[in-house]
Amino acid sequence: MKKLVIDPVTRVEGHGKVTINLDENNKVKDSFFHIVEFRGFERFIQGHPYWEAPVLVQRLCGICPVSHHLAAAKAIDQIVGLNPEDLSLPAQKIRKLLHYGQIFQSHALHFFYLASPDLLFGFDVAPNKRNVVGVAIEFPELAKKGILMRKFGQEIIKMVAGKRIHGISATPGGVHKKISAKERDYFLNGEEIPSIDTMIEWSKEIINFIKVYHSKNSKWLDEFATYDSGHLGLVDKKTGFLELYDGNLRAIDALGNITLDDVPADDYQKYFYEGVEKWSYLKFPYLKHLGREKGWNRVGPLARINVCNGISTPLAEFERLVFTAASGGKTNNMTMYSHWARLIEILHCAEMMKELLEDDSILSNDLTRRGERRNEGIGIIEAPRGTLIHHYEVDEKDRITRCNLIVSTTHNNEPMNHAVRWVANNVINNKPEVTESMLNQVEVAIRAYDPCLSCATHALGQMPLEISLFNHQGNLIDVKRS
Amino acid sequence: MLKEVKHKGIVFGIGNTGRQDDGLGWLFLDHLKSKGFNKYDLEYRYQLQIEDAELISRYQNVLFVDASKDEIEEGFYTKICRPSEKYSFTTHELMPETILFLAQTLYHAKPEAKILAIKGYQWELKNGISKKAMINMKKAEDFLLND
Repeated sequence: MKKLVIDPVTRVEGHGKVTINLDENNKVKDSFFHIVEFRGFERFIQGHPYWEAPVLVQRLCGICPVSHHLAAAKAIDQIVGLNPEDLSLPAQKIRKLLHYGQIFQSHALHFFYLASPDLLFGFDVAPNKRNVVGVAIEFPELAKKGILMRKFGQEIIKMVAGKRIHGISATPGGVHKKISAKERDYFLNGEEIPSIDTMIEWSKEIINFIKVYHSKNSKWLDEFATYDSGHLGLVDKKTGFLELYDGNLRAIDALGNITLDDVPADDYQKYFYEGVEKWSYLKFPYLKHLGREKGWNRVGPLARINVCNGISTPLAEFERLVFTAASGGKTNNMTMYSHWARLIEILHCAEMMKELLEDDSILSNDLTRRGERRNEGIGIIEAPRGTLIHHYEVDEKDRITRCNLIVSTTHNNEPMNHAVRWVANNVINNKPEVTESMLNQVEVAIRAYDPCLSCATHALGQMPLEISLFNHQGNLIDVKRS
Repeated sequence: MLKEVKHKGIVFGIGNTGRQDDGLGWLFLDHLKSKGFNKYDLEYRYQLQIEDAELISRYQNVLFVDASKDEIEEGFYTKICRPSEKYSFTTHELMPETILFLAQTLYHAKPEAKILAIKGYQWELKNGISKKAMINMKKAEDFLLND
C-alpha cells in the first residue's frame, strides 16, 4: 500500500494534514483529513471567573477572535441574567457592527489572499506563483481592493474593540466603550479611508467577477467536490432570513427538507452529539435523531444561504436570488459555490455596516444592563466559517466549572473529509503518477470551507508543505517540500 | 484618499510577548515610547500582514524590529531590507522583504527599509524577557537613539 501525506495543508488557518492510502495499482483505499494538534481551552478555562471568558477564549485564534469574544459574551450575558434581546439597543447594535466588521474582513482575507490564486491561476500553475504575491503581480487592482476591504473590516474592529486583534468590547450585559461621532464619521466620509459606500461598490464588483467566472468555468465548479450533505445555520427568529448574530438553529438535508426546525439556540444539546475518531483531535458533530451517518451538516456561507428564507438587505438579497437560480432553486451541494456565497455575505455585511454606522443610536451611552444571576450560559453566533457554540456553567463563587465549545470548523470536519475523499476518488484514483496539481486539488476542496484549524485545536511553529510517499510496505520512498 | 501619515518613518515591533524573548520587538517599542521617542510612528505586530504593504507605502523610512535566534556577537544587528517576492505558503509568516515587494508592486512605493534583529535566548510560553536578551535590547535601543 502507498500512503500520500499532505502535511500541513496550506493556505488555510492552522495546521492540518491529509493522508491518502493507495494500493499497488494506485487505487485509492481510503483518505483522511486529520487535525493533528491538541489545545484544550475547554479544560484550562475551568476555575477562571466567568467574566474572563470573553477575553480568554478569543486567544483561540488570531483570525476570528471577535467571533469567540462575542459568542462567549452572549453566554456570559445569560449568566448575568440577560437574554440577547435584553441588552440595550445601542449595545446590541455596537456588537453587531463589530461582528459584521469581523466577517467582512475575514471573508475578504479568505477570498483575496487564500482562495483567489486557485481561481485566477488554476491548479497547474507552479506553487510559487499560485499565491497572493502572484495575484499582486498579475492582478494588482484586484489585490489592492482586497487589501483595503480587509483593512476596512479591521478598522471597524479597532474602533469598537480598541485594537484589530484580541481587542475587548463586550462586557457582561453589554459593551464597555462608547463610539464617538468622529470615530463613526471616519467610515462614512471617505476622507481618510475608502468609505462604506465604496466597500459596497467593491463588494458588488467582486460578486460580478465570481458570476462571470462561474459562467466560464461551470463544468468544474459544478462538479468539483460536489456531494450531498446537510446544511446548518442560524436564521432570524421571525422571518427565517439570514441571521449572523442571534437566531434560531435551522438545518436541512441535501434536498432541502427541514431536519432541524428553527429550534432555540439554547436547546442545542437536545439535538447534537459529537462523535470522535482516533485519527483526529477534532470531533464530529451530528444531529442525534439522524445518527452519525446521516446527521452531519456543512456550516458557513454555502449552508447559511441554503437554509435561509432570504436576506434582509436588498443588494445581497438580489444576489441570493441569482445564486439560488444557478442551482435551479434547489439546495446547493456544490462545494465550490462556497466562494460565491461568501461574497454575497461580504455584500450583506457591508450593507449592514452602513445601516448601523448611519444609525445615531450607536453613539449612545446606554451600554450595559444587569438581570438575575444564573449558573449557565449558552452563546451561539454565526462566525465567518459557520455556527459557533460556546457553553459555560459556573459555581456560586463565579468560577467556570464546565465549558463546551463547538467551533465552526468542527461542524465542517465530516464535510471536509468528504471533500478529500471526493478528490481522492475522482482525481487521484488509478492515476499512474500523482502530480503536485492533483495534491493541490485536495487543498482546493478543503480551502473552500475556509477552515480555521487554530480555532479547532492549535497551530504553532513553521508550516512548510511536505508530501511523503510511502510504498505498500510503509517505507518512505519520496518526499516533496515546497 | 488615505490620510497623510504623521511622520516620515515607521517602526514595526514584531513578536509575541507571551513567548518570552519573542516579545523583544514589542518591548523595544515600549522603551522608545517611555523615552519620548517621537520621530517615527510605532506599530505593534504579532506578525506582518499583507495590508502592511499599503501602510508602509506612505512612509519614506521603515524599520522592522524582531527577535532573532541567530548567533549575533554584538547582541543585535541592522541590515538593509530589500524587496523580494519570496513568499511562504501560509498566512502565518510574511517576511519584511515580501511586504516591501508588495508595496513596490501595488503602490509603486520604495521606502528605505532596515531590519533590526535582536538576539533572544528563551522562547517558552511565558511572559518576560530573559536578562541576556534585555541587555541586547538596551544596546540596540542606544544604537537607534544615538543614530
